[in-house]
Amino acid sequence: MLLSLAQSALPIGISGIEKRFGAVSILSDLSLDVAAGEFLTLLGPSGSGKTTLLMILAGFVRANAGSIKVGGEEIITMPPHKRNIGMVFQNYALFPHMNVFHNIAFPLKQRRVSTAETAERVERALDLVQLKGLGERRVDQLSGGQRQRVALARAIVFEPRIVLMDEPLSALDKSLREHMQIELRNLHRRLGMTTVYVTHDQREAITMSDRVAVMNAGRIEQIDQPEVLYARPKTKFVAGFIGESSFIPVECRNGGVWHEGNKLRMKDAMPSSGRHVMVVRPEKLRLIASEQTGDINALPATVGDVIYQGDSFVCYATLKDGRQVILRDYCRSDVLARLPAPGEPITLGIDAQDVVLVADQ
Amino acid sequence: MTKRLCIYGVAAAGLLATVAVPASAADTITVASWGGTYQEAQTKAFFDPTAKELGITIKQDTTNGLDDVRLQVTGNAVKWDITELGADECARGSKEGLFEKLDYNVIDKTGINPKLVHDDWVGISYTSVVLIYRTDVFGDKGPKTWADFWDVEKFPGRRALSGSQATETLSVAALAKGIPIDKVYPVDIDGALQSVDKVKGHIDAWWTSGAQAMQLVKDGEVDMASIWNGRAGTLKKQGAPVSFSFDQGVLTADCMVIPKGSKNRDIAMKALAKFVSPDLQANLPLYVDNGPANEKAFETGKIPPERIKDINSAPENVKKQVLQDPAFWRDTLVEATEKFNNLIQQ
Amino acid sequence: MSIGSVSLDHVGRPDRALNADKLSADARREARGLFALLSPGLLLVFAVIIVPIGWLFWLSLFDESDQLSAANYARFFEQASYIKTFVTTFKVAFAVTGACVLFGYPLAYMLSQLPRRAAGVCLIFVILPFWTSVLVRTYAWLVILQRKGLVNTWLMDIGVIGQPLPLANNFAGVVIGMTHIMLPFLVLPLYASMKTIDVDCLRAGMNLGASPAATFRQIFFPLSLPGLASGVVIVFVLCLGFFVTPALMGGGKVIMWAMRMEQTTSLYSNWGAGAALGVVLLAVTLALLGLFRWLLGARATGVWSQR
Repeated sequence: MLLSLAQSALPIGISGIEKRFGAVSILSDLSLDVAAGEFLTLLGPSGSGKTTLLMILAGFVRANAGSIKVGGEEIITMPPHKRNIGMVFQNYALFPHMNVFHNIAFPLKQRRVSTAETAERVERALDLVQLKGLGERRVDQLSGGQRQRVALARAIVFEPRIVLMDEPLSALDKSLREHMQIELRNLHRRLGMTTVYVTHDQREAITMSDRVAVMNAGRIEQIDQPEVLYARPKTKFVAGFIGESSFIPVECRNGGVWHEGNKLRMKDAMPSSGRHVMVVRPEKLRLIASEQTGDINALPATVGDVIYQGDSFVCYATLKDGRQVILRDYCRSDVLARLPAPGEPITLGIDAQDVVLVADQ
Repeated sequence: MTKRLCIYGVAAAGLLATVAVPASAADTITVASWGGTYQEAQTKAFFDPTAKELGITIKQDTTNGLDDVRLQVTGNAVKWDITELGADECARGSKEGLFEKLDYNVIDKTGINPKLVHDDWVGISYTSVVLIYRTDVFGDKGPKTWADFWDVEKFPGRRALSGSQATETLSVAALAKGIPIDKVYPVDIDGALQSVDKVKGHIDAWWTSGAQAMQLVKDGEVDMASIWNGRAGTLKKQGAPVSFSFDQGVLTADCMVIPKGSKNRDIAMKALAKFVSPDLQANLPLYVDNGPANEKAFETGKIPPERIKDINSAPENVKKQVLQDPAFWRDTLVEATEKFNNLIQQ
Repeated sequence: MSIGSVSLDHVGRPDRALNADKLSADARREARGLFALLSPGLLLVFAVIIVPIGWLFWLSLFDESDQLSAANYARFFEQASYIKTFVTTFKVAFAVTGACVLFGYPLAYMLSQLPRRAAGVCLIFVILPFWTSVLVRTYAWLVILQRKGLVNTWLMDIGVIGQPLPLANNFAGVVIGMTHIMLPFLVLPLYASMKTIDVDCLRAGMNLGASPAATFRQIFFPLSLPGLASGVVIVFVLCLGFFVTPALMGGGKVIMWAMRMEQTTSLYSNWGAGAALGVVLLAVTLALLGLFRWLLGARATGVWSQR
């Protein structure tokens, strides 16, 4: 009944992509594999090269070197209109001179699909994006969310093997964006098309993706499932870009990791050498009694400010070396009962399994 | 009228000049003419000597023709004391009552063709419409008569006639039919139009200004054309390979009038008397190819004999030409022009 | 009844609606203020547009002897040359507009595709002719196109033609000269509208399977139509009132409406005669603009979105 793409979903193999504009290198030796049916997100700040990579995938930008294989077939020199890749643009790129129906029917018309079948498939696509009955609307009569859905319907109506999305939700307001994130996720689960999604919004990336590739300065810093990416960032950039973090410098010597003269207890393997920092997430810290016990590391600190946020509170504390760390906890009664006051000395605890070290670049 | 297009700029400049120099005494008059080399010649021939003799100041302006006079007279803002016009314009303006009566006790009309002497206007100079051809195309065996011009078999080549001066083109069309020069007037308009109809398919350009006629011949865009003798003379002086004669020329006169309401009517009358006097009239051909209206000018001895044969209004040349009749065109111009326009338009 | 009388009681009692009077007085004052700001503009429009056109129309109703008459308009039907002039005027306007579209569209397209800097330089070349007088440019064309002009001399020298082509002093000459002068009026609005076409729309077209040619045909061209339409309207309307170029390049055979106005005004010794021609041209131009608007309006509101 629905559009079915799962069978035809194809893997993408990207290797050795180079892109330079003049002397400026945008992408350097970039390789990436996307599994068939996977929802992969390219996440990174603006200028990291994620949109350029998407444009190279779609065929709008010519790479200087590299290979893109879709289901084993090389497409790096194939013109865009032959690639059979659906794309949702940041500003939707709906055709303003066509109504909703004709926008969605456009790819079918190019493929010489019969009128009857076109009508049926457009109808199904409209149904899928919950726009049933709006086919005759002009594009300028639609709300932002509706345009987004039309763009989506248009990108999938011709059952492409791959769908690319370039920050498709960035123009929507917050609540609609969150709603659409879930819808997109569900749609992907139902249709199973290989999807490459570009965003600079880390929360969006974590919410929607099977895997996230964090990009920085034309390279992929780390590619992992969202939970791994969050819990075990491999670089300081990734740790800083995803979620809130405090970085605490540590020393690696004598086969141990030391902070302020205390040997840290940790589960991960210790790095052999080099300067490292400990990544501390606010919710991994808690208030403890002054001693280190069991697998908990103790960090003495002084309370700077406590901000009450209803469901939770945030406590800004200063370590002995003057470095500021953040602690966040929920407002349970037991926690509230011993809420520290500004200026009060406290001890912060972090579990050995939550200790993550990254190289300090 | 015909020089209208090319003298807008000059007219504007003239207007500015009049504004800039405030009118002073009563013995200052303003004379308007067509501008350009013609008016420069008139300045030397008529205006300067008159100003000197009468002890007055003559200020100059340029005119676009009858429309300007009508605007001044009907608008009660007459700023000219004497103005030049084409003879057919004088005839029409006279009918509309735009001019002051002339006092022929002051102005001596002896020697001026009676057809150009009227209650309120008087002839001042002549222009001829002549047939010009390029000698690089025809040698000296070019078309000599308008019948030749009309004969596209015997004289193949590109042709131009005036499209803006219907009166002149209809006159030569009548001549082309073989009508003798003394029988052309009154023009049989329908007959002349039929004559135009015969040749119109071979006319490559209908010129609308003297400059255009000159350019067409000079650049070889056409091989033969009707043209004003002043323009033809200039071409020849510039060394263009052309030939023309006064045979079967059409003499058209210019005239001068005193616009109704002129504040210096009496001085203007005296100045006008000087302008048409044989003595000053004889000056004109020394500077320009337009012939004097007063034939007594040729008896003053001022004009060198070898110059006389080149002047269109010299008695010898007048005999070869048709004198365009302003009174005739006064009554027929509109109808004839409309029919003519209708005919020549593609 | 009692409810009715109660509510009637309140009608007309100003104190019922808090400060309603003051607020509406304030609104009126603001409206008056805005009108006052507008009035210099309105006055100007009145003085330089409404009054002269009204005067023109008024003049056209009088004959040579200042009698109220329809003679100035009757002339159009009595004299075949006016109809001819009218037809010629429209023929020239159509031909020039067509030629401008033919040359202007590819030019504007090229400009819109060039990098900003190069486009800027090329645009200067498009606009450059604006800085030269129409008269000069027309004479230049005469020199180029006439029998012994550059084009004919050159073509005959290299033996392409044996006889000179009739390029000047005829319809072709008028169209060539006017096309050159009118081209920027088409290119500029067209270029501006092409620049506003979203590159992503074209990318989307190709992404969805349309070849570059199909993308141009189905997306770029339709989206450039509003700019093309405004360029066409500007060129066409300007052509209708053109004087200098047809007068010089037409060899007296191509008489356009404005030339006829000049002829008629001096021939009839009557402003009304020329004014009537002006009124007719204005009416026809307005009717045409209305037609254009209606056609384009129909497009925008649904003709294209029908299946």
